[in-house]
Amino acid sequence: MSQTDTAETRTNRTESQSVSTTTGETVEETQAEWTTYEGGGETKLAVDDLDVHYGSDHALKGVSMDIPEESVTALIGPSGCGKSTFLRCLNRMNDRIRAASVDGTVTLDGENIYQDGVDLVELRKRVGMVFQSPNPFPKSIRENVSYGPRKHGDIETGLLARLTGRADPGREEALVEQSLERAALWEEVRDRLDDNALGLSGGQQQRLCIARCLAVDPDVILMDEPASALDPIATSKIEDLIEDLAEDYTVVVVTHSMQQAARVSDQTAVFLTGGELVEYDDTEKIFENPESQRVEDYISGKFG
Amino acid sequence: MSRVTQTALVRDDRTLYEAAAGLAVGLSGVAFVTGLAALLNIVAIDDPVAGLELSVLFGVVLLGLGATTVGFGVASRFDYVETGAQPSAGIVAAAAFTAIWLAVGAAVSGAAGLGTVGQLGVGVFLGAAAFATTAFPREDIGSTMPAGAVAVLCGLALVTGVVGPGWEQALAGYNATLFGDTVVPAVVLFASLVTGWSAAKAYGGFGARGRNVGAYVLTYLVVGSILAVLVGLVAFVTVRGLPGLFNGFSVGGAGLLSWPFLTNGAGLLADIAGVFPALLGTVWLVIGAVLFAVPTGVGAAVFLSEYAEQGRFTGAVEVATNGLWSTPSIVFGLFGAAFLIPRFGNQKSLIAGMLTLGFMLLPLVLITSREAILAVPDEYRDASAALGVSKWQTIRSVVLPAAIPGVTTGVILGVGRIAGETAPILLTMGGGVLPAKSAAPNVLGGFQLSASPPFVSNPALLEATSALPYQLYALITAGLSGNIQNPQEYAWGLALTLLLVVLVFYAIGIGTRYYFRRKLHQ
Amino acid sequence: MSFTTLQTDWRASIERRLTHTRAFVDDTDPDALAVVLVSMGSLLAAFVGFLLASAWTAVPLGAFLIATGYGWARHQALLARAVTFAMTTVTLITLGLIVVFIFAESIPAFQYETTTVFGVSVPGFGMFAQARWDAVSEPVRYSLLPMIHGTVMVTTIATLVAAPLGVAAALFIAEIAPPRVRELVKPGIEILAGIPSIVYGFIGFTVINPWASGAFALNGGSTYLFVGMVVGLMALPTVVSVAEDALTSVPDVMKNGSLALGATDWQSMTSITLPAAFSGVSAAVLLGVGRAIGETMAATVMLAGVPRISEPLVNVFYGYETLTSLIARGYGSANGVHESALFAAGVVLFVTVLCLSIGSQYIEARMRRRLGGAE
Repeated sequence: MSQTDTAETRTNRTESQSVSTTTGETVEETQAEWTTYEGGGETKLAVDDLDVHYGSDHALKGVSMDIPEESVTALIGPSGCGKSTFLRCLNRMNDRIRAASVDGTVTLDGENIYQDGVDLVELRKRVGMVFQSPNPFPKSIRENVSYGPRKHGDIETGLLARLTGRADPGREEALVEQSLERAALWEEVRDRLDDNALGLSGGQQQRLCIARCLAVDPDVILMDEPASALDPIATSKIEDLIEDLAEDYTVVVVTHSMQQAARVSDQTAVFLTGGELVEYDDTEKIFENPESQRVEDYISGKFG
Repeated sequence: MSRVTQTALVRDDRTLYEAAAGLAVGLSGVAFVTGLAALLNIVAIDDPVAGLELSVLFGVVLLGLGATTVGFGVASRFDYVETGAQPSAGIVAAAAFTAIWLAVGAAVSGAAGLGTVGQLGVGVFLGAAAFATTAFPREDIGSTMPAGAVAVLCGLALVTGVVGPGWEQALAGYNATLFGDTVVPAVVLFASLVTGWSAAKAYGGFGARGRNVGAYVLTYLVVGSILAVLVGLVAFVTVRGLPGLFNGFSVGGAGLLSWPFLTNGAGLLADIAGVFPALLGTVWLVIGAVLFAVPTGVGAAVFLSEYAEQGRFTGAVEVATNGLWSTPSIVFGLFGAAFLIPRFGNQKSLIAGMLTLGFMLLPLVLITSREAILAVPDEYRDASAALGVSKWQTIRSVVLPAAIPGVTTGVILGVGRIAGETAPILLTMGGGVLPAKSAAPNVLGGFQLSASPPFVSNPALLEATSALPYQLYALITAGLSGNIQNPQEYAWGLALTLLLVVLVFYAIGIGTRYYFRRKLHQ
Repeated sequence: MSFTTLQTDWRASIERRLTHTRAFVDDTDPDALAVVLVSMGSLLAAFVGFLLASAWTAVPLGAFLIATGYGWARHQALLARAVTFAMTTVTLITLGLIVVFIFAESIPAFQYETTTVFGVSVPGFGMFAQARWDAVSEPVRYSLLPMIHGTVMVTTIATLVAAPLGVAAALFIAEIAPPRVRELVKPGIEILAGIPSIVYGFIGFTVINPWASGAFALNGGSTYLFVGMVVGLMALPTVVSVAEDALTSVPDVMKNGSLALGATDWQSMTSITLPAAFSGVSAAVLLGVGRAIGETMAATVMLAGVPRISEPLVNVFYGYETLTSLIARGYGSANGVHESALFAAGVVLFVTVLCLSIGSQYIEARMRRRLGGAE
């Protein structure tokens, strides 16, 4: 996509923003300074005027934000504020929920992922996801990691592939090792790659899920409260990993814990009840000097 | 992490290819349905259609489908269209095509008069060729070539008239002969299924997405056929049964409603033979079984889920319950005959039938009630217990009311099931083939008191009584004949009555469940 | 564990239970205890009376009703517990009675068919060592082999129909169908389960048999092929509902994990859901096989009723007799050893299906444990 296209998109976005203001649905903060915030680097994901309805329930209201590449973006807010819904819009996992309807655009590297004819397989290869509770497959550790590449035909292990010499065990081994290494799990499991993944501890399972996601070589990694089911030590390992991953990947992480957001993220978006994005800025700015009174109340624990 | 090559999110435009593949899937579907119609003798294979015999037209369509299917593969292989084809069609497809071509080879060479050895040789040769074609080339070739070839071969056989109307082949030693009338539709069904699947894969652009589309097409076809069979069965019985059921039916007149088929017996005195005794028998049978099984089943479910600690006893009960659930109905019949009949006057009787069906209903009621009780959230119990209410009070006023929807649904569906059972009452209850109205059981008026044990007796319960399913069986074994005007029409009317009785129970059961679920979600 | 420790364990357990009971008796209102004892005692007496076919059964039954009625008004909680316990035992007792009575009735036939094998006489061996069933003309023999062959033929064809179609339909309902379609298909398949078997049999007898007779130029219209297909259709709903339960019990998070990696729905089903639910799906197929084996009426009215083995063995264009149809057709007109032989057929059926049921329960329990570990 050319530079002018991007500029156009941005202008459109500002327009629609003012429209939503005139309808009176959004509160005064929408026009505050942060709306022009564009994050630190090149924009990876641009979300524009995103509305989500679950049946008659309006779960997200006109959310717009630009997510910069190779950084950590935290989404925080009280339960039911729509932050997980927002996250699931970014790889179209909301398509699974049939009552959900999504309006607006999400642009990944200049391509709208909600236009007709989008290949969901290709999208999800590029936008990986890690879930709230660890969900390894009831298979061996090795199979868990190589699952994605196998399904996409990048690695072949079947009987036929072996017969015709297309199977490349060395490549699979290398990919498994590299992904586990990157997820800081290799040292712990290198001797038991053929054990069932369900035998790992919760923290290890979650790092396995991250490794599984990395094996597909995504650009963006979405994490939905990845540490909420884990103990403090496992949590801190995951947090270190997130910071580390941001060197190569665009990480978007939903979290319940403000400390976690403050520790790991470069920019933070605050969602408050009713599915509005209230403020989005550098993490430091949000936690030290937020624009909005509601965000300040929320952060200081007076509200939410 | 920057990628060297970035695949676009939106696939290349291949609208034309997709449209052609979609058309091929649709044409396969039409061929399938027409083939089915020919198999069921709705159309004949020598009917002229557009100047051609239907059989030859089938051949032309299959030839066309086969050629296009191969075309899809070739177009993709030589990159006229961009698809996601993988290096191989996979082991499952390879195995399936091997089996298909092995069978085709054996059948064709058998028809050509080769001996067993020749058949085996040709079959193995073609099977191996199919395996190689499917497994080794890229997926787009592997999943279209063998499929297209099947259709082309079948099409050629039909077009040239090698197989067609008037063709026949005796199966040596099997006491059966194959005719064109059945083989042509069967060939069409099979070949259209294969091309439909292959074209669906092409529609999805092969690869993971193509397999998804191909599998979905087959699954939809399976489910569609099941539903078609269901609708067909019910419609068929209805159409055949309506004349009998409404024989002499009138509204108005002396009584407000006159429905002789349901209110008459089948004796000589009745001008229109009816099924009243059997209908009443079925009603009493169901009432008796429910009176025995429902309190027992619900009580047991309460004990198992509220009082009993999980252990050997509950485990044994669970195994026994599931065992009873799957015990064949005829075994229940044998049990009733051996255990109940000697204890109720040594002859087939209504009460023996009631209890036998009660034994059958018991596990159904127990399983569904237990599920319903376990589905009541523990918070209800805790909340009640926290208020200092005793356990039994909690069960009675909190757990049971909350479980009633599930229990009711289970009982109704269970009753629908046993109301149609024939085997157990065949052995325990008996009854006549064409009972007169006087043979209808008079249970309520039949109770008698006496001074000697057992003090209470009821002859109506101790007599052999007919019920709808049993009467239908008895009519069939009597060769659908009897001392009535039109035994065929009578039997179909009886079958429809039985079907309606059972389906009404099912409709109420499913409706109740739907109603309660809606209420729960509001 | 050695025998002595086992014994002490056992003793300790009894002692514990005794103390427990004593404490319970001490804590309970003596009036309530008496009522419950009278009620349960008279129920037991009534059961024994019924077993002995005594005309006096009515007396303890009346006593039970009176005691229970009185107790219900005064000591409901304790009595409810006792009565529901008694009801729980009914399933166990029923299963026990079925075993005892069917086996007892079949003993004469097993004795009649005693054959000497290597100098040892084995009762019932003759039922499986030769293939003649003839209850009328000499030599009178009661081999079950022809009927077992028929049952195997019908069950095999039925399974070939019910297993793939049933699993596909279960996948459709659990994973593929949009909610509206599911709301239509699920009750549809339940209704299919509700169509009485005699109605299937009636259609088979009046429509399918004559059609098959013409379409394949058969001697008579009875074929294992079409009986098998009809029975398969009847076993289908069992397979669908049990397999669907197994598939939906696989946690959604697992499927989502696969989809989020970019796998298609079909890939997620075949690589995650089906393997995780494999035991449940096989249990469903086993139960379907059990239904097919036990199906009676369609086989009875569609088959020829000749106890003979078809030639060649796999000829599906003959339809002679199955275990179930043998019983349904023969019972009533049979007596003596012949009737007992019908019970022997029932024993074979009962034992086979019970084994299938227990096997499928074992498989299901294993699956529940495995998935439980996953959550």
